[in-house]
Amino acid sequence: MLKGEGIYKSFGGLMALKGVDFHLRRGEVLGMIGPNGSGKTTLFNIISGLYRPDSGAVYLERRRIDGLKPYQITQLGIGRTFQIVRPLAHLTVLENVAIGVLYGRDGIHQMRRAKARAEELLEFTGLAEKQDQPAGRLPLADRKRLELARALATRPSVLLLDEVFAGLNQVEMEEAIDLVTRIRVEFGVTIFMIEHVMKAIMQACHRILALHHGQKIAEGTPQEVAGHPDVIEAYLGSTYADRL
Amino acid sequence: MRSIWPGRITGGWIVSVIILCSLGILPLLSPKVYFLSLLYMVFLYVVLAESWNLIGGFAGYLSFGHVAFFGIGAYTTAFLMSTFHLPVASVLPISLLGGLVSAAVALVVGYPCLRLRGPYFAVITLCFAFVVQILVENLPFFGGVEGLWLTPTKETVAFQRALYYELMMGLMVVVLLVVRGIEHSRLGAGLIAIREDEDVAQCLGIPAPRIKLLAFVLSAFFPGVAGGFHACYLTYISPVIVFDVMISILIVLMTLLGGGGSWAGALLGAVSLSFVNEFLTTFVRAEIARILYGMLFIGVILFLPNGLWEFIRNASFKRAHAER
Repeated sequence: MLKGEGIYKSFGGLMALKGVDFHLRRGEVLGMIGPNGSGKTTLFNIISGLYRPDSGAVYLERRRIDGLKPYQITQLGIGRTFQIVRPLAHLTVLENVAIGVLYGRDGIHQMRRAKARAEELLEFTGLAEKQDQPAGRLPLADRKRLELARALATRPSVLLLDEVFAGLNQVEMEEAIDLVTRIRVEFGVTIFMIEHVMKAIMQACHRILALHHGQKIAEGTPQEVAGHPDVIEAYLGSTYADRL
Repeated sequence: MRSIWPGRITGGWIVSVIILCSLGILPLLSPKVYFLSLLYMVFLYVVLAESWNLIGGFAGYLSFGHVAFFGIGAYTTAFLMSTFHLPVASVLPISLLGGLVSAAVALVVGYPCLRLRGPYFAVITLCFAFVVQILVENLPFFGGVEGLWLTPTKETVAFQRALYYELMMGLMVVVLLVVRGIEHSRLGAGLIAIREDEDVAQCLGIPAPRIKLLAFVLSAFFPGVAGGFHACYLTYISPVIVFDVMISILIVLMTLLGGGGSWAGALLGAVSLSFVNEFLTTFVRAEIARILYGMLFIGVILFLPNGLWEFIRNASFKRAHAER
């Protein structure tokens, strides 16, 4: 459904991505792990059009999308959340979501219908009671929900989730994992997620892809990847990997 | 809280119509000329501030060269009127043409400049206004630094004053309706999202480059028309008058003082600061007025970052809640 081939990206002298391939099947949840600075968010920024790859290609349903503008990619059906949550701080929670509805793929252009649709989405994500608060004043867990609601508002077929579980406590994380599962089932979206929290990955993902220094070092089921020697080496160093 | 959906103020329409009607019949009562011209200047500044609001207040792109569009409209109109000795009846169509010229220039200039964000955009628009001024000063058929005289017409001064008063008021009403319409529309919501975070806006599917350019072109059109009226009103224009950088600064200040991103905020800011401006230049000296503006600007940014209008609304909102 979503496919990347030989993606390279460098910033000055730093090679952030060195020929990464990935493939996302319809309806699955694909996880992406890797130590800090391994290029995960860069890959998301390339898929969502914020960056242009130096070389390589990204295809959505066989249509080439690299080089398109971010808004064009959103309108083709790829939604995303941001790792460092970025609410439109001076707008209310409801307005944040309604703007996604107004400009997303639903083609709802009337303000009143957009409001109604946004209210439904806030109900679904559990933010209905806080809809009139300025988004900038929400606590972190709610901001993460807002990121999800706003991304859903554009009616994506593929959803890119950038560390939506990071920084949440145990209870909040259980709720968030449940929410992501409900999103996949009820909205029928395919999910590509970056995650550090192993528990969340093992529970939510069908397959996992591991990046290290901008290269793919492993791909497979969560169990396969978690036990892969290169992955252990990337996280814990070679001495520890040798001992296993 | 300001909202992208329209609020309901009971009787708001009726009050607005009454105020506008009384302002409209004012010239018939032959008031003091000074009073009429004072109101005319208020209307002019409302037009300029509301136009600037579209790009500066809504989209958050602080154009510090907006006087250029006013000047371009003024020069287009003055040039055509004086070259072809056109009658007073042609002021409206020629001024609209002046607005179109301003809008066309905005399209050409905005396309590359709107790629710059934050202070870079502010600086380049400031430079753009100076470039236009220098260009006009060096074009002989625009009269250079000496400016242009318009052909005298046979109508009485009182009639002309009343005519331009009514024209400027009409333009003000149109601009207010346009900005009010945009505030509660998909376009307005998109522009505000760009102001808050342009990358996020794009990831929500907002075609940022296109709607920024649209806002910029619209925000140049109305000052162009106003410039046309003003050229005919003054009957003489020169680069230092219609490209005065103080006008650029004043309209930014008015909008931010009242509250950018809402039509009522810019209206409040433009009206109140026009009177303050008039008071200061009449009773205090202009140099001191500038110092006071600077202080006002700092005060607004520090204490009223969302503007007077938000402040008043929040205060009344809190009171309404406290009463419950």
